[in-house]
Amino acid sequence: MSLSDSQFMRYSRHLLMDDIGEQGQQRLLNAHVLIVGMGGLGCPVSLYLAAAGLGGLTLCDGDTVDQSNLQRQILYTPEDYGKPKALCAQQRLLALNPDIEVNIFTEELSPATLAPSYDLVVDCTDNLATRQQLNAYCFAQKIPFVSASALGWEGQLVAFDFAASGNLCLNCIIDKESAEPLLNCSNSGVVGPVLGVMGSLQATTAIRILVGYFKQHGRVQRYDGKSGQWLTLNAKANPQCDICGVR
Amino acid sequence: MPLSCSIKPAASPATGLLGLNMIKLLFFGRLGDFAEGVAPNIEARADLTPAKIRDLLAADHPALFAELSQPQVLISLNQMIVGWEQPVFDGAELAFLPPVTGG
Repeated sequence: MSLSDSQFMRYSRHLLMDDIGEQGQQRLLNAHVLIVGMGGLGCPVSLYLAAAGLGGLTLCDGDTVDQSNLQRQILYTPEDYGKPKALCAQQRLLALNPDIEVNIFTEELSPATLAPSYDLVVDCTDNLATRQQLNAYCFAQKIPFVSASALGWEGQLVAFDFAASGNLCLNCIIDKESAEPLLNCSNSGVVGPVLGVMGSLQATTAIRILVGYFKQHGRVQRYDGKSGQWLTLNAKANPQCDICGVR
Repeated sequence: MPLSCSIKPAASPATGLLGLNMIKLLFFGRLGDFAEGVAPNIEARADLTPAKIRDLLAADHPALFAELSQPQVLISLNQMIVGWEQPVFDGAELAFLPPVTGG
């Protein structure tokens, strides 16, 4: 199916790029992405993916908007206090781009959320248990998984293209049996734009995977906004991994 | 087993190629706030691991030791993620990264 006149205008800055072009834009329009967690990471991720013309987005978050969210969760306004984040986000994203489909789950991740078929999953959650659940789901479904997190001045991103690469998954890097650390955003804070940096990186990575330019399966990127430092780390598959190991 | 290795300033510069029998230490992000006064390089020994290096820091840097004892701390050896019991050889760069969990 070819692009409409309106789509040619809307996505013209992608179409001008030889390595995206009409074919790449069509891939984005045909893709359906699940975003789990509509907080500080989910807001920039969903804004950029909606603007980029991701044809289908499904947003999952069981939380409601609180005043303390507005320092960093850039989709929401004071009029949203007490309303489900996924619902508020759906309205903003459709206002930004009525050309796309946005589905929502206003409860925490459940089997119902994972029942539809997705082309890619973006992890914007704040706990290891949910991250690991998504990691296992994506490995089993052989679909790409883009995971990020942030705390204080720091952010971390790791992505896996399970469709193209074999072993090595999140559980090889962070054991799913690990306890949660004492520090989290609720008790120690986070710098809003750090979430913007990491969320933008997640959106870029998702687009890169969907268009076909991703070769960094399992590579960990760390950002320290206080010093301005980046660090890129490689990881090896754990043959004994419960999720992706050879058993 | 008692550890006889001590952490002390390196004779070689902190940047560039390390001298023989030295390991470069890096404490990323907020771990750096707890690592003031820790020498950037330590003398290597055949049986050193990240876990043993963490233990060596306990006496003089208890706050850093506590941070390194948190769950989900990442360790990298020459930019490769490794476990706490990975042997650390001379000339290596060993980095500790604090857990980052929020979203």
